[in-house]
Amino acid sequence: MPGAGAWRFPFRAMGGPCELRLYAPEEAEARRVAQAAQAEVMRLESHYTRYREDSITSRINAAAGGEPVPVDPETASLLEYADTAHKQSGGLFDITSGVFRRVWDFKSGVLPDQSEIEKTRQLVGWNKVEWSSTHIRLPLAGMQIDFGGFVKEYAVDAVARLCRELGIEHGMVDLGGDIHIIGPHPDGQPWQVGIRNPRDPEKAIVSIGLLSGGLASSGDYERYMLVDGQRYCHILNPGTGWPVQGLASVSVAAPLCLLAGTASTVAMLKGREEGVSWLRELGLPHFWVATDGQTGGDYAPAADAGRSIS
Amino acid sequence: MSMQKKNKPASKALLALTGSALSLPGISGKAAAADPVTETSIDYQYSNYREEDLPSSKHAGGDVERYEIDTHQLRVVRPWGDSYDVTVDLMYETMSGASPWFIMPGANGEPLQVMSGATIEDDRSDILAKVRKLYDNSAASLSLGYSDEDDYRAINVGIEGEWDLGSKQRTFTVGLGYSDDELEPTDGGTTLYPNRVTSAEKDSLSVYAGFTQVLNARTTVQSTLSFTRHDGFLSDPYKEAFVAGNRVQDNRPDGRDAIAWLTRLRHFVPSARGALHVDYRYFDDDWEIESHTLELGWHQNLPADWQLSPSVRYYSQSQAFFYAPYYNSARSDGFASSDYRLSPYGALSYRLRATKKIGTWAFHLGWERYTSEADLAIKSVRVENPGLVEFNAITFGISRHF
Repeated sequence: MPGAGAWRFPFRAMGGPCELRLYAPEEAEARRVAQAAQAEVMRLESHYTRYREDSITSRINAAAGGEPVPVDPETASLLEYADTAHKQSGGLFDITSGVFRRVWDFKSGVLPDQSEIEKTRQLVGWNKVEWSSTHIRLPLAGMQIDFGGFVKEYAVDAVARLCRELGIEHGMVDLGGDIHIIGPHPDGQPWQVGIRNPRDPEKAIVSIGLLSGGLASSGDYERYMLVDGQRYCHILNPGTGWPVQGLASVSVAAPLCLLAGTASTVAMLKGREEGVSWLRELGLPHFWVATDGQTGGDYAPAADAGRSIS
Repeated sequence: MSMQKKNKPASKALLALTGSALSLPGISGKAAAADPVTETSIDYQYSNYREEDLPSSKHAGGDVERYEIDTHQLRVVRPWGDSYDVTVDLMYETMSGASPWFIMPGANGEPLQVMSGATIEDDRSDILAKVRKLYDNSAASLSLGYSDEDDYRAINVGIEGEWDLGSKQRTFTVGLGYSDDELEPTDGGTTLYPNRVTSAEKDSLSVYAGFTQVLNARTTVQSTLSFTRHDGFLSDPYKEAFVAGNRVQDNRPDGRDAIAWLTRLRHFVPSARGALHVDYRYFDDDWEIESHTLELGWHQNLPADWQLSPSVRYYSQSQAFFYAPYYNSARSDGFASSDYRLSPYGALSYRLRATKKIGTWAFHLGWERYTSEADLAIKSVRVENPGLVEFNAITFGISRHF
């Protein structure tokens, strides 16, 4: 085992900094696993990105209002998952809500017209979508689906599984802050993961020790604008088309990063009261920060809170 | 590690999401069938199979040097458009050596093997082509094969369907195969072998059904049940039996129905970076042969893309109802066979295989040692067939995908 710790493999993918930290007897072996892992991330990114015309996402969206588009089994299971999340969240988790991006320009500092939001709202609604295990059809021209809300978390879990299959027992997968712990440090110690302070995102507000499984956070600090002192963030309620209120950030630990990501996103969408009770009901370890600065959940801001997020 | 906090029933929402997440291929692992072939692969394998000479204590005549077979196999798999893939298998083998001819009683009644006198030299060519059409959650394939030897020709066809029953966690397969064989035994009807047939035919039809179930991310189980009916000339034209002091042609029933049940378990052990393979096969036919095969294998991943796989296989069978090493009097049904393959026996084989991958290339080297004896059978055997085989085999393979 390397004395200095795990081998580190930083790279950029899915719109953010990523890192694999793998313990292996030799660097060459860790590198081989890291290459396979990166290839899997690239595969998922190119398959589901909105930024390539030939991605399945672009093909589905381009055919909106037209013919059904055939989907591969993996995409079909992701749609199945999105459908389950939609049902379990009372419609808040909705992969058709990305179309609101057209009316919300967070760089402009200007709020959109309510009439624009109303118009766009007609194009949102997972229950409008016609889909099966082999095909999907968006019934209205202009409708869009976006896997961006959960495919990164899925990729984190897929990469962790791949690393385990390739023999890695101790390590961590981090894709832009979405995390899956393959296994603890070789001495059995947990990995310490810093949670961003939503009002000072380069600093940690709490540090969570994890032995295995996933961790994901959702917050109003990633993309937002301030208008008349009021914060408007990129997490939009699919029913109203307006940014969520109440919670500033939510972090959840779960056996899978995908579950943690869905749990935290839905909590943000539900807002402070309902969100906190949703988290309690799920029974997953979590930590939340409200927009008024109050915190809660299973982790208390620790002594080392305030350290920089590396 | 359970993330769910203690003393609290799992929430319905969490159960639903977990269930849905676990059926995602990236999370469950992409096992099972009906995955389209996306790249071309070529495999070549050479093997040398060599039976050991008979010990003189069991030998009463003929050549002591038994079979040696050199086999060359080539397989090409490639995608064909978006929804088809094609597999072609070619095989060429050369055989030489003597084979068991008949058994006669020794001075104390002990069975002694007489081997064929002249060394047999033969070669065999085999081609099999399979086309598979992939649908969304299923696949259908058609295969056609042809086999040719000096004294033997066979044509076979097969159809198979596979269905994915739920996100590749469970697949179901059914198939049907038919083979039509023609024999023209060497020297049949000649003055040397006047009783040997000059030509004969047989055919066989088999149906099978099986499933593969992913139990969890590390364990997969596969089980297949098959039924086969053989019809026609099922005797061995090159063998004779010793009946009441006379040599008669090997004579078996002209029909044989058999069932076989095969179950395979694959379990990956991450902490050891290896996988355990356990296979069990049960076989039963209306010649009253019942057999059990148990194979245990361990596939160990090693650094630098090496893999080492030792395995051990145990086999035991009961005898065919008409079999005897030799006959003091003829059976009323006229059947007679002293073929060691119909005798009661058990067998043990040990195998070791090393594989090394370099980029898109893979190489393997394997060795097998096989021993069969009456004493290895599950039930006790009174008289051992003297023709039972011991062999060594080595294989070398090279494969590449593009």
